[in-house]
Amino acid sequence: MARLPLEGIRVIDCGYVFAVPYAGGLMADMGAEVIKVEGPGRLDITRDSPFSGVHADNDPGADPWNRTSNFNLINRGKKSLVLDLSRPEGRDVLRDLIRVSDVFMENFTPRVMRSWGLEYADVKQLKPDIIMVSNTGYGHGAGPYSQYPAQATTQEATHGLAHVTGYRSDIPSKAGQSYVDFLACWACLTGVALALRHRHRTGQGAWIDVGMYQLGCYTVGEYILDWLANRRLGDRLGNRHPWHAPQGCYPCAGDDQWCVVSVRTDEEWAALCRVMDRPDLAQDVRFATTQDRRAHHDEIDATIGRWTRSLTKFEVMERLQAVSVPAGPVFDARDVNLNPHYWARGFLETVEFPEDRRMGKRVIMGRPWRLSKAPLAVRGPGPSLGQHNADVIHGILGYSARRCAELEEAGILAARPSRPRIPSPMSMDERVRQGRLAYHDPDFKKRLGIEDELAHSSVSVIASRHE
Amino acid sequence: MCAKLLGDFGADVIKVEPRGGECGRRMPPFFHDDPDPETSLFFLLLNLNKRGITLDVETPQGAAIFKELVRLADVVVETFPPGYLARLGLDHASLEREHPALVMTSITPFGQSGPYSHYEGEEIVAYAMSGMMAISGTTDREPLKHGGFQAQYEAGFNGALATLFTLVLRDATGIGQHVDVSIQEVVSSTLVANQPFYSWAGGVQARRRPGGTMFGNVMPCKDGYVVSQGGGGASWDSVADFYGRAELKDQRFADTDQRIVNGHALDEILLEASRDRTMAEMFKSASEQYRMLFGIVQTPADLAQCPQLEARAFYQEVEHPVIGTIKVPFRLWNMTPTPPAYRRPAPLLGQHNAEVYGKLLGYADDAITRLRDLGVI
Repeated sequence: MARLPLEGIRVIDCGYVFAVPYAGGLMADMGAEVIKVEGPGRLDITRDSPFSGVHADNDPGADPWNRTSNFNLINRGKKSLVLDLSRPEGRDVLRDLIRVSDVFMENFTPRVMRSWGLEYADVKQLKPDIIMVSNTGYGHGAGPYSQYPAQATTQEATHGLAHVTGYRSDIPSKAGQSYVDFLACWACLTGVALALRHRHRTGQGAWIDVGMYQLGCYTVGEYILDWLANRRLGDRLGNRHPWHAPQGCYPCAGDDQWCVVSVRTDEEWAALCRVMDRPDLAQDVRFATTQDRRAHHDEIDATIGRWTRSLTKFEVMERLQAVSVPAGPVFDARDVNLNPHYWARGFLETVEFPEDRRMGKRVIMGRPWRLSKAPLAVRGPGPSLGQHNADVIHGILGYSARRCAELEEAGILAARPSRPRIPSPMSMDERVRQGRLAYHDPDFKKRLGIEDELAHSSVSVIASRHE
Repeated sequence: MCAKLLGDFGADVIKVEPRGGECGRRMPPFFHDDPDPETSLFFLLLNLNKRGITLDVETPQGAAIFKELVRLADVVVETFPPGYLARLGLDHASLEREHPALVMTSITPFGQSGPYSHYEGEEIVAYAMSGMMAISGTTDREPLKHGGFQAQYEAGFNGALATLFTLVLRDATGIGQHVDVSIQEVVSSTLVANQPFYSWAGGVQARRRPGGTMFGNVMPCKDGYVVSQGGGGASWDSVADFYGRAELKDQRFADTDQRIVNGHALDEILLEASRDRTMAEMFKSASEQYRMLFGIVQTPADLAQCPQLEARAFYQEVEHPVIGTIKVPFRLWNMTPTPPAYRRPAPLLGQHNAEVYGKLLGYADDAITRLRDLGVI
């Protein structure tokens, strides 16, 4: 098999939730040996909190912390080590592990790392060429917010994105989920790659100090510059384009089905009018230029909406893309999971869990990039809690069986949570009634081709997915 | 964005533009609203640290010059529709024959392969087809896109990291590769709590209800808007104490499920408790005293004078030959011993033609003049 970018690289991943753990998961896809470290009393909250998504088949089972969707997608292909870092003996084990690793990633608040004696200056003493990644809400240093707790939902407001997101003339809004976590994930990865190249050339390690806040601020950079240069504060435009017209999200045939259409030029406007069978609009001087169309945007929206309502969202896409007008359906999670384009490109992968996990096969997103000569792939399911304790402690660190037993005895090393949270999940129907889900497909496994006994011929699976 | 990130960490980035300039030069906002190709603030933001040349790669001579440049390069980053460069003989497969170590990164709306690869993309199309819009906005209205051009920035990050890991691999093997980045997939990748909900239990998440969902979303206060959330270092009791409302400790708000079921009552209490408090006071108190996850809706003006961003050296003062002195968002993260470094403002159109064609490729002055007269550069 062709070589992978991170073969031979060992990564310690002490991160929680999304940004750092996802960076670790993607590094595992690229061939790294990634060891996820959690505490027996402090599991990654994607295992046992409202951040965990849903248990497989909505059944918590006997080990609910191993069955959640978010944890298993994010932490695919890793080893799991459960080590109590709140105690000095646990931190000593971590120090030993740092001595034999290439990359050490964490997202504790700065004061935690200081109190543990695990800041970069300390870690560098253990392993001079270590590459350390620290991801925090506001970044290390003396800034006024540097000790503030933070996560993506609340930062989406503070880093300026909510101010420009929202329906027109309505209050600010957040969009999607945990947005800035992903900017941070990619920043961490970029930093690690830069540092690996620097280490390759010079033998030096590095410290990558990512603050999520400034990443989020950068992605509204054009608004900041518009303020500095023109004293303009930025508007909430809903689904309209800041300078082209028309653009919007329009209702389609069916319940809660939508498509988007964006017209960038007069030629695209003419093409849209042709496809809508409204040549009169293409001739109408009121709509001749972008400025004209912006001035009559409401009226144009109503016309487009009347046309789209008679078609499925896929029909709108096909008809408009056939004449090179940007248009697409609003895909929900079912559409994303069944999308023929994603299956054809290999963006979705089917992961098989070991028999004793009782989770069968599940579909997860791979990576948004492909290398022409390196077969990147999800290399295994997310690990069960403490699954690789022995592999790491015995196999990598070479501790004696007796020392391992002592660590287990003392609760420093564990394979069960010290304070398990026993969830009582509500039914899928109840979730729909409460508005937390739009709907659910009881036959999702059949649709995805992950029924237990089904053979995995990808070609037949793709064919059956799309009528 | 992708090439800018490489440049910020030391790469010598040569931006190759058609003779009329790339479309980014025509993107608002403009300095003093003057739509000049040298004053696009978007272009300024994304092209710091690059040199710039003009070249018409659609002419045979231009294509030949491009190949000469590629021989001296490690990386080519491009965003043309799939197939365009192949028609000019400038795709990765053609270029790697003479330069096997070349890394070429292609960033396109739907990627290089698959049934949608030739579709037209746009910012809103990427949000819609990624799954992002379906869970943004409220159930009583249409799905909602993020503000600005997030998908473009996101794709830039991914282009940079994928390029760099390919270079890491090249350090070991000496072999380059073609890197295929799909903007649709990049945006989907942020839905780690959404996509697997379906393959784990068949659930399809909804947009939020228009009422009863203020906790965890934007809500008004005296002088603007705030967002608060549970979790982090704060217990629900601390949240109740921060808002100063004893009834928040009632059983009906005891856990996340209860707070959703009793969302309308919760909204009323939170609104009432925030009505006479300012963003600044709430932000400081929630973050410092109660260790809560708390945000305030800041405007671009707030960000332009933010002490935290100053402390992180986020802004770079830039001397631009047409715009003058302006501070530009620059530093994305800190890194030691190889911090991002500012070297030059965004290039004027063709600013470095003499430098690149003359010094780097060794063309004589009259040859450069001839190429210009022929419309190649």
